[in-house]
Amino acid sequence: MKSVVIGIHLNREDVEPVAESMKVSDVFASVVGVADDRPLGDRDLLLEIAAIRGRLLDKATFIAVRYGFTVRDENELAIKCSGLTARWRELLVAHRDEVEMTLKAAAAAAPPARPDRHDFPSGAAYLRALHDATQTIHVDPEFRVGIERTLVPIATQHRWIHRDTHSVELAMLVGRRNLDAIRDAGEKLRRDFANAPFLLSGPWPLEVFANDHHE
Amino acid sequence: MPEQTEEITLLETLDHLLDRGVVIAGEATISIGDVDLLYLGLNIVLANIDAVIRTSQK
Amino acid sequence: MIITNEDERLRESLTFAEPSIPERISADPEVVENGLAKLVLSIIELIRRLLERQALRRMDGGNLTEAEIEKLGAALMKLEEKMEELKRVFNLTDDDLNLKLGPVRSLE
Repeated sequence: MKSVVIGIHLNREDVEPVAESMKVSDVFASVVGVADDRPLGDRDLLLEIAAIRGRLLDKATFIAVRYGFTVRDENELAIKCSGLTARWRELLVAHRDEVEMTLKAAAAAAPPARPDRHDFPSGAAYLRALHDATQTIHVDPEFRVGIERTLVPIATQHRWIHRDTHSVELAMLVGRRNLDAIRDAGEKLRRDFANAPFLLSGPWPLEVFANDHHE
Repeated sequence: MPEQTEEITLLETLDHLLDRGVVIAGEATISIGDVDLLYLGLNIVLANIDAVIRTSQK
Repeated sequence: MIITNEDERLRESLTFAEPSIPERISADPEVVENGLAKLVLSIIELIRRLLERQALRRMDGGNLTEAEIEKLGAALMKLEEKMEELKRVFNLTDDDLNLKLGPVRSLE
């Protein structure tokens, strides 16, 4: 029996009874027991975990752990999380009443030609070129203004992310009490920009805003 | 339309589950040098391969 | 909640991507060999793409050392080289590999 770790929570009661909890330092991990021979890529398992995440988020905000991390027991968990829990606790306290919302939007223009590896003297130069190509991707300026006017004012924090050459994302931290306002703003955006492909989804647990390197 | 929205909801949910969140070293990890590149979709692909092999053995 | 002006382009950029893996492999030996080669190459290409995406994510995070950036970049170059070599050996093109982003139904 292995335990799939779902998230990191402030209190044990934020986890139980929706999932099992494991104490790790001064925070708690939510886990689900899975048979050793069951592959993590099992579709039903994925859907089950996704549903559990949703129910956990209904209880309280938590830090999402990327799917795939499993442990045998609390000891293994403690070893692998050592050094990380203090920061997690800070984030959980700071964002107790907030959730994440994500807006994905298609790029306004076709992506630039992919860099040709033969043009680069080193691996680092090539990777930098690939990375630079994603940074040039933007949504239609008018659409961006629309987003900045309707959605962004409701968020406590926001971050534009360039994941690839086809789309751009906006990650937002939103107070739970403002979710209806976000929904209204999203509907307005959809009406005002009927031709701009976008997808506003959420609420999600802390994902983007739980990652250290962005601080 | 409802079916499409359902599919998008599923895609989006899976994206958030598989492609975001804090990374803690796990066994579903591919590393290049000392850099862990956590890749979980591999499990999905492998699950599909299994299905393919089983299908072709029928 | 999901609010969307849904579009094919958006669907493609929703991260969950896998190649269209054929559901049946023929028993004909020639076709079998070709089919298996396609399957293997599709998987390698998928891994290559995903590794690239992960490397770009880490670049975004800005917390890689110079040495790590070089290692990742060099590894990606090597993977691309290998893919091209394999495609030549098996006489397969990108079209042959049918690498399109499929809908989530291909999970079944």
